[in-house]
Amino acid sequence: MLGFLGKIDFGSDLVALLGGLGFFVVVVATAYVAGLYMKKMKEKSTSGAPLAEENWDGIGEYKNDVPTGWFVVYFILIVWAGWYWLAGYPLNAYSQIGEYNDEVRAHNSKFEAKYSNADHATLKAMGESIFLAQCAQCHGQTGDGMNGKAADLSKWGNEEGIMATIKNGAKGLGFPMGEMPAGLVDEATAKKIATYVMAEVSTAKKAGDAAVVAEGKAAFAASCASCHGEDGKGMNGMAPDLSTYGTPKFIAETVLVKGKKGHIGNMPSFEKSGLLNKTQFVAVATYINSEMSNPKK
Amino acid sequence: MQNNATLSYDYSVAKQFMLIAIVLGFVGMLVGVILAFQLAFPVLSNLGDEYLTFGRLRPLHTNAVIYGFTIPGVFSTFFYVAQRTLKVSLAESKFLNTVAKLMVPLYVLILALAVASFLTGTTTSKEYAELEWPIDILVVVVWVMWGIVMFGLIGMRREKTLYISVWYYVACFLGVSMLYIFNNLEVPTALVSGYGSMLKSVSLYAGTNDALVQWWWGHNAVAFVFTVPIVGMIYYFLPKEAGQPIYSYKLSLIGFWSLLFVYLWAGGHHLIYSTVPDWMQTMGSVFSIVLILPSWASAINILLTMKGQWQQLKDSPLIKFMIFASTFYMFSTIEGPIQSIKSVNALAHFTNWIVGHVHDGVLGWVAFMIMSAFYHMAPRLFGREIYSKKLMDAQFWIQTTGVVLYFSSMWIAGITQGLMWRATDEYGSLAYSFIDTVRVLLPYYVIRGVGGALYLIGFGMFMYNMYKTLSAPKLDKEPQFASPMGA
Amino acid sequence: MFHWLEKNPFFFAVAVFVVIAFAGLIEIIPNFAQASRPIEGLKPYTPLEIAGRQVYIKESCNACHSQLIRPFKSETDRYGKYSLSGEYAYDRPFLWGSERTGPDLHRVGNYRTTDWHENHMKDPAAVVPGSIMPKYPWLFTKNADLDTAYAEAYTVKKVFNVPYDQPNGVPLGSREDAQKNMMEQAKGIVADMKDKDVKEAFEKGEIKEIVALIAYLNRLK
Ligand code: HEC
Ligand code: HEC
Ligand code: HEC
Ligand code: HEM
Ligand code: HEM
Ligand SMILES: [Ca+2]
Ligand SMILES: [Ca+2]
Ligand SMILES: [Cu+2]
Repeated sequence: MLGFLGKIDFGSDLVALLGGLGFFVVVVATAYVAGLYMKKMKEKSTSGAPLAEENWDGIGEYKNDVPTGWFVVYFILIVWAGWYWLAGYPLNAYSQIGEYNDEVRAHNSKFEAKYSNADHATLKAMGESIFLAQCAQCHGQTGDGMNGKAADLSKWGNEEGIMATIKNGAKGLGFPMGEMPAGLVDEATAKKIATYVMAEVSTAKKAGDAAVVAEGKAAFAASCASCHGEDGKGMNGMAPDLSTYGTPKFIAETVLVKGKKGHIGNMPSFEKSGLLNKTQFVAVATYINSEMSNPKK
Repeated sequence: MQNNATLSYDYSVAKQFMLIAIVLGFVGMLVGVILAFQLAFPVLSNLGDEYLTFGRLRPLHTNAVIYGFTIPGVFSTFFYVAQRTLKVSLAESKFLNTVAKLMVPLYVLILALAVASFLTGTTTSKEYAELEWPIDILVVVVWVMWGIVMFGLIGMRREKTLYISVWYYVACFLGVSMLYIFNNLEVPTALVSGYGSMLKSVSLYAGTNDALVQWWWGHNAVAFVFTVPIVGMIYYFLPKEAGQPIYSYKLSLIGFWSLLFVYLWAGGHHLIYSTVPDWMQTMGSVFSIVLILPSWASAINILLTMKGQWQQLKDSPLIKFMIFASTFYMFSTIEGPIQSIKSVNALAHFTNWIVGHVHDGVLGWVAFMIMSAFYHMAPRLFGREIYSKKLMDAQFWIQTTGVVLYFSSMWIAGITQGLMWRATDEYGSLAYSFIDTVRVLLPYYVIRGVGGALYLIGFGMFMYNMYKTLSAPKLDKEPQFASPMGA
Repeated sequence: MFHWLEKNPFFFAVAVFVVIAFAGLIEIIPNFAQASRPIEGLKPYTPLEIAGRQVYIKESCNACHSQLIRPFKSETDRYGKYSLSGEYAYDRPFLWGSERTGPDLHRVGNYRTTDWHENHMKDPAAVVPGSIMPKYPWLFTKNADLDTAYAEAYTVKKVFNVPYDQPNGVPLGSREDAQKNMMEQAKGIVADMKDKDVKEAFEKGEIKEIVALIAYLNRLK
């Protein structure tokens, strides 16, 4: 339940520390002062000061002086407030947006230095929490698409995904070609094409039966090349470049940038919302590609 | 000293507002408990079609406890305290008496309309100012009536100097008048366009300005409803109940004027890191810190009034209620300033820590004081002894446990939320999705609900005790000081 | 010195009033003109979005959701760019909220979509397991109050000079014009939805509350 505490770095997060400290100050200060006065209640003496001459409905008032401790602290605080207000604050030239910009700049330069050439394992690890924070709301923690509320990512990026695309068509990535129509070829042919694309077109290069690949190649030329080009590279951006299909590149450079208006529903563009940077795009794409769509068996 | 017996005070309005406060207090807290469990078990939000969802019930809760419980509590105690400390009877002026008596049915009407409007979703959405414009107008009318009675009574007073409590009632009246009106200036859309619902209005202010005016009100609603009149109450009921003179007149005086002065500047602490200018936020922070001392002035004065009277704290549950109220007051008035520090607020704002802060104030201070006042008044109003001291004592412990469970769970919940929202993993990406931060709160929501339920049970015991008191045979003379306790 | 005031209630009341009014004025007035200026390119809410905003207010979504992204990296990473004063220039009332029982929604239009909201408002826990947000099935069966939405747009135009009916801006026009525009905008949203009843009702010229609400949520960017 409190496992999250382990993830918080109290040492460097001054603010978290302050928040926690505040917690104790409240209890301690109140308990201390209340205790002090409770003790006074136990003291025998009633106040020796003279009573005021007025009396309201039986209530009198002593002419006691203001308690010194209270007055001194009050006085100090007023002086402090005056100083802070007239000198401390104006001289500090503080601005909350300035503070934010500094925070972001510091983070970015550190981040870039460390991760601009991150290796696969680092990217994958980075991608995991990004996926959980930003994608799992739609795709589910495991990427299964939550009963069809978003794409089932275990199907994406391999033969199965291509077959599904051929069966249902595709739309929403916003290529000049527009939509890919559904049902271009029958299921048997689709399977062959899928094997071919994954084995030869996609740089994922998943081995497939040579004979099937050859048949798939012919079918691809007949049914797909008109849009994706003979080489499947998408004819200079007219349609998706299938050599990137099944690799992180497709997700990082196409899906996350454009979003996807699909059959199941829509996915917004993460470029527009600006919630992630490009390295994080690659990281989450790497995570999906290696953990969900292509789990190493 | 004049003899009280020569003057017969008219308590009928005090009694009626007491009844309103008790009924609405129960309703409001019951709704609070429902809200608490709705967050733990969301199915409870969907049991009553659209009418009982969290969103509809929340303003009902806040309004029931503020306008249905606290303000009638203030009215009721005012009509008791003012007559006695000014030494005039409401019965002496036919006009004032009529105005005062008319306040009651009008107030009941307001409350009925408010309940109906929140259940059907008629709200302006501004916190603590949710009522739509037609009800606002009625509220202003009642408020003006109260002012007429207040200044009328003061004008007729026999006691030359105003007692401390009366200062606070005057400040409550003036503060709320000014703030309520400004924050509720709105334009009814049907009147301008000729289309749509008569109940809909738009705020006179937009965006950041609207926020400024709203929190100018919201913060000072805390000042002039949850603080000022309640301090007024404790300044009367505690010395009266304890039979002790106020410790220091000077302290009460400095406390009063500095509280009023400083409070008004502190509203910026609701807008820290928002889009209002930095200097205003800073002003809010700085004045909030200073505010500890004016707030503690009255608490300390009250505690010192009990100097040498420790045994009363043990013997009388009513004194215990008031001393604890004063302590909870100190507690929330140091907690508030700490939450006003910019970096602490960055963590605490939007979290349940704020809700915890609210409730150690309202449960431990406001509601404790109102119940104490009623316990003190009941024997005097109805000429009967309080039914059971034991029951009172049990109530005290149950409710105190409730408050402690409430604020401690919300504290942990709030700081947990605040930390999780900003936690990052080693790569600097957010470590938690929002829903992680929701799921982790479940146990705290349950504990808070249990605490709230205990408090509500205590309130039920209070109601029962009052009921048994009322239905007992009448005594023939008013007790002078401490409540005469039965068993 | 002060003792005198306590004997003179009139001056006492005046003193109290001066003390409390003073701070208020100094705090509030200087910022007023500046904070009400809209940022470049800010468009007023369309009447349909206003209808949705009214639903949002009616259900007190602001009881759980804030609309104020503070300038911290942890917030801009989660919700998008920090909020600016000028973005709220047409918000009457403001809806910043003061609790975040649910996430901030000031830019939810950037990362959630019509179909997502449709699923979510019907049954939040089905979309986000563990969600404690209530279900809102009645939004799918009740018609949005378009008259009151129009009334609000008309009022802010007349009373506060909110720039409707400008070239290339948001049109308002007469109640009939507004009806046409609301239907037009609703059409795009209904097309992205799956609920049969909502679609059928739309064919009959009715706009359900959910459609208006989604129009509003999509507009939050
Ligand atoms: C009419 C043109 C056209 C034809 C023919 C066509 N495609 Fe496509 N294809 C597209 C377009 C346009 C897209 C991008 C759709 C989108 O916006 O999501 C696409 C997307 C794809 C995708 C990526 C789907 C995803 O996950 O987003 C794959 C894989 C694909 N096509 C494979 C094929 C195969 C295999 C064939 C032959 C059977 C084929 N395409 C035929 C136009 C076409
Ligand atoms: C608001 C919901 C939502 C969010 C958030 C979301 N997605 Fe999606 N995503 C979808 C939907 C819906 C689809 C399926 C569209 C279709 O094909 O019908 C989809 C499809 C995809 C696809 C398949 C695209 C294709 O071309 O077939 C990938 C990959 C993907 N999402 C990755 C991600 C990643 C990575 C994130 C987070 C950084 C993410 N999504 C966040 C809703 C979302
Ligand atoms: C009881 C509190 C509560 C109320 C009332 C409530 N919500 Fe929520 N809301 C939540 C919680 C908790 C979440 C986070 C879990 C989830 O996504 O369901 C959430 C999430 C959301 C989200 C998703 C935001 C995101 O970034 O994922 C939207 C949109 C939303 N609510 C809209 C609304 C609207 C519109 C209303 C009013 C009609 C409303 N909510 C009322 C608690 C509430
Ligand atoms: C010195 C006195 C006090 C100070 C400086 C103070 C300060 C604060 C602060 C900083 C907040 C949180 C603002 C935010 O971040 O959202 C707050 C909220 C609140 N406080 Fe206090 N507080 C004080 C006393 C009290 C008391 C005595 C009560 C009640 C009895 C009270 C009731 C509230 C309420 C109801 C809120 C919630 C406002 C909302 O809806 O957001 N406060 N206070
Ligand atoms: C049985 C006792 C009570 C319980 C269980 C209870 C519960 C709650 C709950 C669950 C909320 C909503 C918090 C949220 O949105 O997360 C709330 C809000 C609030 N309650 Fe209570 N409540 C109780 C009594 C009271 C009383 C007696 C008062 C005032 C006299 C009060 C004043 C408030 C206020 C001002 C808020 C708004 C807080 C804010 O916006 O920050 N409550 N309460
Ligand atoms: Ca109002
Ligand atoms: Ca609040
Ligand atoms: Cu405040």
